[in-house]
Amino acid sequence: MKKNKSAWKAEIEIDEAKQLCFPHGMVGFPEAKKYVVMNSGGGDIVCFQSTEQVEASFLMTTWNEADLGPAPSLTPDQKAALEFSDTHNILWLLVLNPFADQEWVLANMQAPVALNQDTGLGMQCIQADPRLELRYHWMPQPSREAKKAA
Amino acid sequence: MIVLRRTLGQAIHIGDDIRIVVTETEVNGRVHLGIEAPNTISIHRLEIYERIQAENCSAVNGNVMDWLKGASNEEE
Repeated sequence: MKKNKSAWKAEIEIDEAKQLCFPHGMVGFPEAKKYVVMNSGGGDIVCFQSTEQVEASFLMTTWNEADLGPAPSLTPDQKAALEFSDTHNILWLLVLNPFADQEWVLANMQAPVALNQDTGLGMQCIQADPRLELRYHWMPQPSREAKKAA
Repeated sequence: MIVLRRTLGQAIHIGDDIRIVVTETEVNGRVHLGIEAPNTISIHRLEIYERIQAENCSAVNGNVMDWLKGASNEEE
């Protein structure tokens, strides 16, 4: 275990064996290669917090095939980078952006994250399909929903 | 920036294991490049890479844990 200072000035303990490795980092954050998953205790949103670069803190949710259609396929290069074999399970995640729009939490379908759950290797996979939305309206901002309910 | 003049079928090497070949040229000036590189190197069109980079930066441009806490409170 080691202790890291996080952006929100809390000290968190990290089990190094549970760190996920992104060999390429995230796009724009090439130095942030190791992440821990934190969740809020409810809902289906988790936080991928880099243990190397404090500002690399991404909210993600699983790719819901019922709403979004089939998850992308891995290219041969992506399979190699993730050390993927046919017996492995890939989890596809969407990077959420809760800060760019006051009405909506946005999801980036153009660059989802593939996580090999067996090896703990992950990568952000930029998709060639131009029909995929960069700012998909994933869910209304919770504060907006609360105002409506009131 | 290093500028190299290449024609169809010619290549350049970067380091020991990256090779870029001009595979096709079109009359409208568009050039097709073939790139061989280790799979540890990600390769993308610049404009797409920059768009994703900007979106990622926007996605972390706030305190995600505060947002999560707020979202949990609203659910309750």
